[in-house]
Amino acid sequence: MAGSRGALVAFDHASKRYPGLDLGRTGAVEDLSLEVPAGRICVLVGPSGCGKTTSLKMVNRLIEPTSGRILVDGVDVATREVTELRRSIGYVIQQVGLFPHQTVRANVATVPTLLGWSADRIGGRVDELLRLVGLDPAVHADRYPAALSGGERQRVGVARALAADPPLMLMDEPFGAVDPIVRERLQNEFLRLQEVLAKTILFVTHDIDEAIKMGDLVAVLDIGGRLAQFGTPDEILANPASDFVARFVGADRGLKRLALARVGDLEPAPALTAHPGDDASAARDRTLADPFPYLLLLEADGRPIGWLSATQVPASGILEEAMATAMSPLLDVRTTLKDALSMLLAADVQAGLVVDEAGAFRGLVTAEMIAERLHPTTPARAAVD
Amino acid sequence: MDTSWILAHLDELGLRTIQHLGLAFLAVGSGFVLSMGLSVLAVRVRPALAPIIALSGILYTIPSLALFAALVPVTGLSILTAEVPLVLYTLLIFVRNIVAGLDGVPGDVLEAADAMGYSRRTRLLSVELPLALPLIVAGLRLASVSTIGLVTISGILGDRFGGLGFFIFEGYRHAFPTEILAGAVPSAVLALSVDRLLVGAGARLTPWSVGSVAR
Repeated sequence: MAGSRGALVAFDHASKRYPGLDLGRTGAVEDLSLEVPAGRICVLVGPSGCGKTTSLKMVNRLIEPTSGRILVDGVDVATREVTELRRSIGYVIQQVGLFPHQTVRANVATVPTLLGWSADRIGGRVDELLRLVGLDPAVHADRYPAALSGGERQRVGVARALAADPPLMLMDEPFGAVDPIVRERLQNEFLRLQEVLAKTILFVTHDIDEAIKMGDLVAVLDIGGRLAQFGTPDEILANPASDFVARFVGADRGLKRLALARVGDLEPAPALTAHPGDDASAARDRTLADPFPYLLLLEADGRPIGWLSATQVPASGILEEAMATAMSPLLDVRTTLKDALSMLLAADVQAGLVVDEAGAFRGLVTAEMIAERLHPTTPARAAVD
Repeated sequence: MDTSWILAHLDELGLRTIQHLGLAFLAVGSGFVLSMGLSVLAVRVRPALAPIIALSGILYTIPSLALFAALVPVTGLSILTAEVPLVLYTLLIFVRNIVAGLDGVPGDVLEAADAMGYSRRTRLLSVELPLALPLIVAGLRLASVSTIGLVTISGILGDRFGGLGFFIFEGYRHAFPTEILAGAVPSAVLALSVDRLLVGAGARLTPWSVGSVAR
């Protein structure tokens, strides 16, 4: 889909004060400055009352800042005509806010209609968007919101926000109102969609796990609307800037970091390998000479069959497939290190076989190698780079 | 029951029925337009709501006969005298229902409408009023039924008014029950029919609240 690319968003000393009210409850924002590069997802995360929603709403001027500026592509939003500004920014909220008296088609067509698109263009766009978010126009387009499931409503909400192809999307707990299984699916679908769309997205959540999963960048806000830390998920997990951030990301931040990296990011260790039909005595000699006296038997195309210990390799004859007695967990290069570690801890042999997309053996990864990655002297590659 | 009298007056019954409907329609229509303005004002300027409700409440408590009597010196035996009280009585019903309807539009829907870039006017016309429709129709039913009943009383202003109420006054004056019934029964039937019609129209206008698939 050809579309406008993301916009650069910058908060420039933006503050919102609510005089005379209890600071912690109001969603005030205190001197917020941060920049979100075009095409990236920036998650605003923090406890309730930290001003994350207020910050979001200052971008499309549902809330006006008390002081400071918000710039979209270098232009102060306060200088733009407010309805025109809002039509150029997608907006998705937890309660979705679909118009109950309009069909899915009319809901998705909202902004294009306001912009005065032709009926043909709108019709084509609505069908395209519904397919994009995984709904069938023939089934869903003429339904009213009351006839949709929670997940379907949320998809329609995303389609409606994308309708006029805005370079910037604001999403306020967009997946907060659906059950965890649907939420996970919507998150994954949205990340896949974003790979194609490359919008700039400001995303609000109170859930640190969602922030780490969805964000290229994460802004942690503290009560009173102060920015406690701004960085990539890995930076925030590896080096929390304060006790507040450390507490907020949780004691398991090490494990959370592992969820950000994949097996393919590690340099796998080599292993002794052989194929069925190879000469057994040569393989036996090689295995006995190795400090790690195990031989990995591979298919001709490189797919692992299983392990033989040095003593199991016959002194003569050829190697046969049936000789392999033990097997290790297979780790796809796309498996997260967190899942890989969990698989290794559950297995008899704490070395996993890294396989590529075709299933061919690449090397070994051990639990020690994964743990070593968290060591402060070997900073992990940031997930967004 | 004197059927021969009724048969002899069928033409007049028809004319009076049409007049009755005309007077009621004019009152309900004017009341609706006036109330819509007051309600939108009350929803936008909150402090205006309490005085508007209070005033229309006070007007509602004035007995209709007293109101006619009070207006005659000002407006004479004109259609204005007949209609003004009828219109005023609809205000309380309409304003309450329209305001409740507009207030009932969910906050997330309004927020979404604002964030999509609706102007205030477009939001009112394409989001708020359609969603307030079920309560507006409920108000329309109440106001119509009560106004169709009240039109009969305007017959006290003379035979140019009152619709079917004319027969009731005449029948009372001549102690002739058939004529009273000839006014009262069609008036009641009229009220019930209009009510049914509005129920049907309301359901047709709000397909989202009953069915799930648009036609």
